[in-house]
Amino acid sequence: MQRDSSTLESLLENPRVWRGRAHNGNRPGLSTGYEKLDRHLPGGGWPQHALTEILVEQYGVGELEILMPALARLSADDPVAPYAEPGWVAWVAPPFQPYPPALQQSGINLSRLLIVRPKDDSEILWSAEQALASGTCSAVLLWPERMDDQASRRLQLAAEKGQSWAIAFRPVNAERQASAAALRLAIRASADGTDVDIFKSRGGRPVTLHKLFSRP
Amino acid sequence: MSKARKFPSRGREKATAPPKKARRKRRAADVQQLLPLAEAAPDTSVAASVPSSGAASYRRLWFCVYLPLLPLEAAGTTTTARVVVEERQGIHRVLLANEAAMAAGIVPGQAANAALALDPELDIEERSTLVEQQVLESLAGWLEQFSSCVSMAGSDVLLLEIAGSLRLFGGLRSLRQQVSTGLGQQGFFASLAIAPTPLAATWLARGGRRACVRDVANIAPMLRSLSLDCLEWPDSVIESLAGMGITNVGDCLRLPREGFARRFGAGRLLELDRALGRLPDPRTSWRAPERFCIDYDMTEEQSDSELLLAICRELLDAHERFLLVRQLGTQRLDFSFYHLKAPATKVSIGCAHTGRTAARWFELLKIRFERLELPEPVIAVRLEGGHTQALCAESGRLSFSGQRTSTGRYSMAQLAERLAARMGRQAINGVMTVAEHRPQRAWRARHLSGKPGDMACLRDSMRRPLWMLPEPAPLVVEAGYPLHQGRLRIVAGPERIETGWWDDDGIARDYYTAINPRGLRLWIFRNRSAAATWYLHGFFG
Repeated sequence: MQRDSSTLESLLENPRVWRGRAHNGNRPGLSTGYEKLDRHLPGGGWPQHALTEILVEQYGVGELEILMPALARLSADDPVAPYAEPGWVAWVAPPFQPYPPALQQSGINLSRLLIVRPKDDSEILWSAEQALASGTCSAVLLWPERMDDQASRRLQLAAEKGQSWAIAFRPVNAERQASAAALRLAIRASADGTDVDIFKSRGGRPVTLHKLFSRP
Repeated sequence: MSKARKFPSRGREKATAPPKKARRKRRAADVQQLLPLAEAAPDTSVAASVPSSGAASYRRLWFCVYLPLLPLEAAGTTTTARVVVEERQGIHRVLLANEAAMAAGIVPGQAANAALALDPELDIEERSTLVEQQVLESLAGWLEQFSSCVSMAGSDVLLLEIAGSLRLFGGLRSLRQQVSTGLGQQGFFASLAIAPTPLAATWLARGGRRACVRDVANIAPMLRSLSLDCLEWPDSVIESLAGMGITNVGDCLRLPREGFARRFGAGRLLELDRALGRLPDPRTSWRAPERFCIDYDMTEEQSDSELLLAICRELLDAHERFLLVRQLGTQRLDFSFYHLKAPATKVSIGCAHTGRTAARWFELLKIRFERLELPEPVIAVRLEGGHTQALCAESGRLSFSGQRTSTGRYSMAQLAERLAARMGRQAINGVMTVAEHRPQRAWRARHLSGKPGDMACLRDSMRRPLWMLPEPAPLVVEAGYPLHQGRLRIVAGPERIETGWWDDDGIARDYYTAINPRGLRLWIFRNRSAAATWYLHGFFG
């Protein structure tokens, strides 16, 4: 009997066995701050210690706003353990200047913000990997020019090693490329709201959410 | 003027005041006010009159080395005529002239042009206090062989405490002879004096007396005939004292204490008391800064980077041991890789935090090594430590949550160092807000090493965009509406920002939030001045 149950356990640990959404074995996610989005993500939020890819047509469609509530929570002092310092949030090669007063309005702790401006693509990936694996940063946002399957795997591993959250912003035509990211979604803005198209979700299901947040 | 006249006469009255024993019976406060600066009569009773506090335990002997010609000597030795000039009130004047120049008729105080007219081949050097300081430091380093306490007083005076060194160097005469000969061999003209207090020794040396006072009681008689010019007091004080007919220290010591302190400051009185040994005069001892420098010579040329790294690791370990025993840390290291046929390759590693751990430096070196191209095989490696600082250790923190304590984590400073080692320090920065209404000035970059100060907080204003353009971009206008991928619809605003009139960067703008047909929210503004053009300033990301 004992032996049977251990066999079953080891069988269930095999990633090829799909156990349905209720038993995905994922650790709880980091709440996105948007109830509708949380419901459709496995673990009820952003996957922690993993790579998330956000695909956008152009910058400014709301790709930062969707992250702000989670980033604000990460950079704030933990009420349960006030002695533990909050982690840093690193921005690697942002396309424009992240505007500090606006970040402050969104509740981001600016004293824990790191902006890295590498010279070329290999440096972007290298510094993002360093920041992720260091264990100092609770989140690393990066804007690589190109990112192949291998690079995404390295980032995923670095995020696991440093228990950090990697967010890579890529153009929408990267949708067909393979990636090791735990979560991949595309954000599309229209005049009456922002749609979020989750097309890869480890342990979850692809789904399109219309008008996730309306922008007056 | 009348006041000034009265002053010395009062002093003389006190000098002829009742005998000492009678005065001692007065209250302490009265004594403080009425006692002259020193006893009037230089008789044997003077020794007893010196307050016993401090005097009994006074067992120090200060050897003063005064270098009057230091500016000239710092410029180097030469046999030809040379002067050192200094700019005073816009005119270069001769500060010091060497013998050859003096022979040509050049005297200190002359204008440089006048001196040049006297000797057209004159070598004119500008005075360099920096070089003087360096020369003085090297001399202090040399004098450290005679005493453990060498102190720098001013820009041209070195003081040695020699009471403890007398036996080792065979007595006062012998020690003095050794210092004097050594200085002469190094080409320095020095005026030497020995006294139980540092100030008395300094003044005597400045006065050019080859004095040697061993007893505190004999200081006052020795100082008496010394001109006030040796005291380095401000000219105004010397002048007003001279106006009263007081030109030497002895006259000065006869003045009543209270009046003297009121007229010339308590500091002057303190100096006199210290010189006479009535008050302690502690001096800080100068220490030659220690620098770490170590070489590794190889028997044959090597180009294998693994091997070179192993050698560097060895040197770094030695550096760590050096710093560890001294409780020091450093922020900079310089490696030099020497080649037989090419100039040495230099590699400097910097570190935001003062550190000494070899492992940390090695990690930074490895990052640099990945991109380093050595032109030739290496024959020797040198490691030079940078300026050292006292190490302030960081205290660890107790972890209550348990989730942030996994092994292998390192601090932000370490991450920043790693990134800076590869991409340069300018590629990494933090941000902070500034209390300023102009949007482009409401923030600035900050160094990560500094403590984040208080940040300004934006209140009662419209939302700001998360993305900011480096420069506002002009928008095309069609039928009065601004365009950005189609006609813009204004959803919020205006927020008027009109400020900065006091400098060149003043603005007068109406800011609006607009939305374009593709759903992008933009932060746009229109100048209130003449040409009402629309500009795009940011995206609400």
